[in-house]
Amino acid sequence: MRGFNVLLQKEFREAWRSWKFLWIPLVFALLGMSDPLTNYYMKDILNAVGNVPEGFEMLMPELMPVDLLQGSIGQFQTICLLVLMATFVGAISKERASGMATLLYVRPISFSAHFMSKFIVMSTVGFISILAGFAASIYYTVVLYGTFEIGPLVACFFTYFSWLLFVIAVTLMMSSTFKTVVATTCAFAVIFIGQILDSLVGTFWTISPWKLPLYGVQLMRGTMEMSDYWWSLAITLVISIICVIIGILTMKKNAPTTKI
Amino acid sequence: MTILLQVTGLTKQFAERVVVDGIEFTLEKNTSTALIGPNGAGKTTTLSMLTGLLKPTSGSVKMLDGDLRANIGFLPQYPQFHPWLSALEFTEMAAKLNGVPTKKAKVEAQKTLEFVGLGNDLNKKISTFSGGMRQRLGISQAIVHKPKLLLLDEPVSALDPVGRREVLDLLKGLQQETTILYSTHILNDAEEMTDQLLFLRDGKLVEQGTLREVRQRFDEPNYVVEFGTEKEAQLFASQSELIGEIKGSNVYIEIIDEKPSMQELLQHLSSCPNKIRKVERQTASLEEIFMKVARKI
Amino acid sequence: MEELAKVPWAVIAPLIVVQFILMIVALVDLRKIHATNGPKILWVFLIIFTSYLGSIAYFIVGRKQS
Repeated sequence: MRGFNVLLQKEFREAWRSWKFLWIPLVFALLGMSDPLTNYYMKDILNAVGNVPEGFEMLMPELMPVDLLQGSIGQFQTICLLVLMATFVGAISKERASGMATLLYVRPISFSAHFMSKFIVMSTVGFISILAGFAASIYYTVVLYGTFEIGPLVACFFTYFSWLLFVIAVTLMMSSTFKTVVATTCAFAVIFIGQILDSLVGTFWTISPWKLPLYGVQLMRGTMEMSDYWWSLAITLVISIICVIIGILTMKKNAPTTKI
Repeated sequence: MTILLQVTGLTKQFAERVVVDGIEFTLEKNTSTALIGPNGAGKTTTLSMLTGLLKPTSGSVKMLDGDLRANIGFLPQYPQFHPWLSALEFTEMAAKLNGVPTKKAKVEAQKTLEFVGLGNDLNKKISTFSGGMRQRLGISQAIVHKPKLLLLDEPVSALDPVGRREVLDLLKGLQQETTILYSTHILNDAEEMTDQLLFLRDGKLVEQGTLREVRQRFDEPNYVVEFGTEKEAQLFASQSELIGEIKGSNVYIEIIDEKPSMQELLQHLSSCPNKIRKVERQTASLEEIFMKVARKI
Repeated sequence: MEELAKVPWAVIAPLIVVQFILMIVALVDLRKIHATNGPKILWVFLIIFTSYLGSIAYFIVGRKQS
């Protein structure tokens, strides 16, 4: 891991100076707010739009606080992940394509240091982002609906963070292996098409990384089958580690493709 | 003289195309070597293999005095920096990545930037730098860790005449303590700052040696006598026993084994009734040698 | 005045503040950045008039590095 500290400092500077530590958490916060808010004001919104016939009684389901948090996580799963991935998917491939990597690769540093510096910065941005997103969602849910139990809430948060680490590992592995366009396509396919497939035909299995966000919510509901949970968590972490290793190897293999 | 770098049978093949074909040379310590050749001759590929960025198909690069990767500084033709860093931050990072201790790195970076003439721009963001400033920064990141071998790919070809002059002077200042290998297609530069020449053509090393050696091998010296008009030149050529080639109002007389001597020529000319504007002995410029080597089969 | 008091500030304020900060951050970055993909003035309009989507789009595709 030669050069790790120096590279980490460089990556942090980059993320800081391009506002990534600020704007991505803000996006998560905004989308975290949107679900509790729109649900609470659904009736008013419909009335304001004015298409509700006279005497029509809306049958609004009674929502529990955990339902709102689940809604917010659903938001994180689409737009927020898209934003996070799109921001970082070029982290390695763009550095090669522009030639910025050349002046780094000629020095006696290890590629694991290089890869991990990027992984840690993306994870930190991810962590702060979901912290902001959860905080925003919880704030509105508490103000408008009701409170949570703190223990399961923390468990749910860290379960979601584990899933996020998987997303980050996949994103950076693709960036290391392919050019930016292909990397984007592949990373999006794994994460988003994976989600769709898992929700369509996922009833046939109970252990998968794509189920982890939902399992976090089920922890709060108290309906989680714990052996499924632990297995999914374990497998997610194992796959993430494998992705990191592949990422480091392909980064080394693709080093000669940097523009000179 | 001690040898620093030994290159043997270096070859690079991309698919069917052999870009560098079994080149061999050595670099002596604290000398400057110019790698010259037409575009597409394989100069950049050769340098890339020396840096370790590109793996050779066969052959080897050996530094006889320590680990190669830890002891080189490299300046690509179009260096790309991380634009959000300042010049000082970038140079300091370069030093640290090459193992200069953290405390020393900042001082060294500052000194180096002052040396390359960026002393007033230490804390400016690289995104605001001009082409000349970038080239200076490129040199500073290549020399900040005091490498034994400095590899430069076309270090001055993208600069205007003033910038070129300044960068060349910078490099000359480094010659005493560093071994330099640089590629160029601007031969005046090579003529000015070189102990050894390597001519690359179609991936092969077709000529090498000191500037003097190469000159001797390819020089075809001659005298030029310039007359007032073409007619006078023709008249002189037809009357004299010296065999000359007429080009315009000039007569070119070939020198073979130092014959005729300047004295003999002047004797001949003294009896010439027409006005002589200029008499000169010409030696081939590196450019002419280059053209000869480039065409040589 | 009574109308203003009726507005649920605890609900509205954070939303407005977050959107506002996001917009300001985008505009400050736009002011400082060397070059953008597409004309700068276009991004100014997008960031100001399309709530948060313009800002997100700017950060992802608008910024030009190097």
